[in-house]
Amino acid sequence: MIVHSGEINGPVRETADVCIIGSGCGGGASAKVLAEAGKKVIVLEEGGHYTSKDFDGTEQTAYEHLYQQRAGQATDDLAVTVLQGRCVGGSSTVNWTISLRTPDFVLEAWKRDHGIQGLSSKELEPYFERVEKYLNVHTEPFENHNPNNRIILDGAKKLGFRAVAVGRNTKDCVKAGACGLGCPFDARKSVDITYIPDAVKSGATVFANFRANKIEITRTTKRVSGVVFDHQTQKPKTDFIIEAPVVIVSGSAINSPVLLLKSNLANSSGELGKNLTFHLTTAVLGVFDQIMYGAGGIPQSAMSDEFLNKNHDGGGFWLEAVPIYPTLAALALPGFGSAHRELLHQYPHIGATIILVKEIDSSGRVTVNDHGRASISYMLREKDLGYLKQGLAVAARVQFAAGAKRVMTLHARQTEFTSPAEIEPKLAASGWGMNELSLYSAHPLGTCRMGINPKRSVVDERCQTHDVKGLFVIDGSVTPTSLGVNPQITLLAIAEKSAEWIAANYADIKAR
Amino acid sequence: MNVLPDRVTTRRKFLKETLTGVVFLSVSKLVPSEALLAGELSQVPKDLGFFSPREYLIFEAVAERIIGLPSPGQPSIKDVGVASRADQFLAGADSEVQDQLHQLFTVVNAAFFTFLFDFRFSSFLNMSAPDKDSYILDWMTSKFGFRRTGFQALKRVSLSMFYTDNHSWKEIGYEGMFMPEERK
Repeated sequence: MIVHSGEINGPVRETADVCIIGSGCGGGASAKVLAEAGKKVIVLEEGGHYTSKDFDGTEQTAYEHLYQQRAGQATDDLAVTVLQGRCVGGSSTVNWTISLRTPDFVLEAWKRDHGIQGLSSKELEPYFERVEKYLNVHTEPFENHNPNNRIILDGAKKLGFRAVAVGRNTKDCVKAGACGLGCPFDARKSVDITYIPDAVKSGATVFANFRANKIEITRTTKRVSGVVFDHQTQKPKTDFIIEAPVVIVSGSAINSPVLLLKSNLANSSGELGKNLTFHLTTAVLGVFDQIMYGAGGIPQSAMSDEFLNKNHDGGGFWLEAVPIYPTLAALALPGFGSAHRELLHQYPHIGATIILVKEIDSSGRVTVNDHGRASISYMLREKDLGYLKQGLAVAARVQFAAGAKRVMTLHARQTEFTSPAEIEPKLAASGWGMNELSLYSAHPLGTCRMGINPKRSVVDERCQTHDVKGLFVIDGSVTPTSLGVNPQITLLAIAEKSAEWIAANYADIKAR
Repeated sequence: MNVLPDRVTTRRKFLKETLTGVVFLSVSKLVPSEALLAGELSQVPKDLGFFSPREYLIFEAVAERIIGLPSPGQPSIKDVGVASRADQFLAGADSEVQDQLHQLFTVVNAAFFTFLFDFRFSSFLNMSAPDKDSYILDWMTSKFGFRRTGFQALKRVSLSMFYTDNHSWKEIGYEGMFMPEERK
């Protein structure tokens, strides 16, 4: 059953075997596995529950209802915009469908540097396979790539860089391009239309517009309390208390540490909220003679991973396409005023290529501000800045190779190349300080880091907190490092594996 | 985001730096701009959820410069109702964001700060159009991180309120999202 806050008329008091806070990849997959194992599961989701009928294909509706802080979530200095879902299904409801397994070199580093057992490529293989089959992950035939993705396939290949079609979790996709705005066609196999309905079929209850504010550990159970918001006004309406012996925090790398910090739990290591990685992203925009219309067609269907871990240092970057919705384009284009407005007249001719940096020396931190909400800071350091610059140069070259007549970066002060020869000198003269280049993240990870050493990590290999038996964190916050790829398949696989272990060991976990 | 460890600007630090002391702020509020704006203030909607009437005018003036003036046949910010849409949008923002924006509008407009930062002798509202553009450019490219942050905040709100509205789409050639036939 999915319960909307409009159906709630007074304080909610419930008990369950497992209370899951958050309904994205981590929470949704955990809910399905545990409900199918016969556990009484309650899922709490801060955002609302929407269906394809609610998705009208506009940025206004999507940003207002489906995104954290209405797509305005950012680091405290506004230097990095952090895009995350805030609805049943979490970010899976608004992501751009790329479905990739965790790279082997990343999993090897987790074992080597963090002592993690049980998450090797071989051990995750059956989970990857199961998830991919369940979500219908497949690659697209060549004719399905839109002009924006063809930039990567054509441009990178011309330069001798590896570029391939990537897996997508869709079925009967009509290629409308609405992925980031909520799919009006139910073509994307996101958590809200896969894991959550299956969890509900097995008896799980999902409460939408329920924000957990605190977890308390009592002698016999765990108590999750919080506020119920009115679906329409978003004003507090009443409160709730859910008691369960097992609590799974699945609020994402931003909100999971906030909840645990406010609850004064799971932080004996002092690592809670630290080690934030962003998979830091920026873009180049090319202006082409032909119509590109980056808002239409499949938004992301190709990538170039030529420069990921190329130096065997665990870092690097790769290239993907990005849907070019009007507001995203307006915010990304440099400058302001009449010149900016004039630039936007090139909108149908703009192709965008994003650069995603797998961090090796940069990191951030999530703390709790005076209002009880997330405060996010981030430090971009030299090695990753180097890869960011290299990525911009490579992406610009790829754009030219694909036919762009001029290429711009997202620097506040317009940085434009009219030929490949201009790229390096103009980048060398550009500013790299805070808010001199627009930066984004759609993959924040790592703030409840997994590891075997309780002094250096928050959760163990099962995603159980070192400090509190029966308290788990299952979401993007547990990854020990940046992944270097879009994270949904990794998170779903880890969630399924951890939830299976919880189901199999429930009696022991429950016995304190 | 920062490239150098000694340039961390947390939200708290941003506020601290922005205000450069609450004393200055209180002084700036003494600058008599209300009297000069009496005519414009009477045009401001009465049922504002976030802006004060003065802030509404400041934002509208900033947004007009950031979005750019329309050519004939193109929508203006008043056609789209950018300031009213921003008021509704910001009325639902987190309280900490609201606090910061209230302070930002004061700092952007106050003659005290325009003098302090740029040696200008006028509040933003009283500047000429070229001076307004020059002043916003100074914020965008400032050596002070908090001013670049302030510019980003203003740019985001202004452009978001304009380009999420379908009246702005025709001008840039956006045709709207393909939707199922029965829901068009």
